[in-house]
Amino acid sequence: MKLVKQLAALLAVVAVFALFNFSMYRVFTGRLGNNFSGASQLKSVEVANYLPFQPESDLARVDASVKLTGDLPVLDGAAALVPVYASVIENLYPQGSVTYEGGTFSSDNYYGENFAPDSAMQYNNTVRGYKAIVDGDTDLFFGAGPSEDQKKYAQEQGVELVYVPIGREAFVFFVNQANPVDGLTADQIRDIYAGDCTNWKDLGGPNRAINPVARIAGSGSQTRMEKFMGDRPFGPKSPFALTGGSIGYSFRFYLEGMVQSSSVKMLALDGVYPSLENIQSGDYPLVSEFYAVYRADNDNENIPILLDWLLSPEGQEMIAATGYIPVS
Amino acid sequence: MKDRTFYRVLAAVVALCTVLTLAHVAYGAWAYQNSSIVQFIAKEPW
Repeated sequence: MKLVKQLAALLAVVAVFALFNFSMYRVFTGRLGNNFSGASQLKSVEVANYLPFQPESDLARVDASVKLTGDLPVLDGAAALVPVYASVIENLYPQGSVTYEGGTFSSDNYYGENFAPDSAMQYNNTVRGYKAIVDGDTDLFFGAGPSEDQKKYAQEQGVELVYVPIGREAFVFFVNQANPVDGLTADQIRDIYAGDCTNWKDLGGPNRAINPVARIAGSGSQTRMEKFMGDRPFGPKSPFALTGGSIGYSFRFYLEGMVQSSSVKMLALDGVYPSLENIQSGDYPLVSEFYAVYRADNDNENIPILLDWLLSPEGQEMIAATGYIPVS
Repeated sequence: MKDRTFYRVLAAVVALCTVLTLAHVAYGAWAYQNSSIVQFIAKEPW
């Protein structure tokens, strides 16, 4: 009888730990993954799906009247804009100008995507991409506007960056598809991220904590969110918020066109849903320009040719065909 | 099982479970920094 009690005690201890770990897996660990392979590394985009000169690549092809030769600018960009700058290469660059090597995740290959050093296409995403353009490792960076730290880094290096708006995109907020809340006001969202509104019941939802999810500092969406918050600082988050219903933010095409998760839904903002029609009409209130960025002292003669083409009807047709909104 | 033996086994089991749980927590903290918020929200239990 004593042995039975002892074994029961041991099993109870194991069961308590198992229950804790299972709960943590359900609420937290099991939800950690990237958008494309399911692994936990930061793979924000499956670059292999957007490689130029591959017939199966998901790129916008137009009948371009311009073809670049000579010193080809090295293009880089944010994850959300890989389809755009890869399409630029597809339409304007000669075959063989891109060498993709794939690769595994490492400190040198942060996104698990490698291009040969002499490839005209690179992928550093926003945080590393802004550093690369300032350092002169790339010629044109495609992305959202820079963060204060990124501007400061350029100033410290004595580099002037030129920002050319080439398209527009909506900044959107999203929640799990099962969340009954379909829309919020801008002030309500600021209240959430400032820590002043912490329960969905105050917003017409269920009695459940709100988990406001942020992105890494310096990413395009985080920089845009900081601009949206204005003077209001991000509030501290309770650790128990992890068990609550989350809200996050991103750019529309990245969420809807590239990741395409049917388990999340975009929220209407101030009563306006971020549909393509509402964005184009100007009814949706949060629409930002995205840029092609280059060093003012970069004398590559193909840069103005490429930019002139991007802003031409052909180039803007390509922007629209990728799923973004033309700048004009 | 003698009491002394039982307590040794109990201590070993608790130690092992604690190490595994801490490893789980450490993995979660690392993976959270490297994961997509879209997936985090998409897989949310409701």
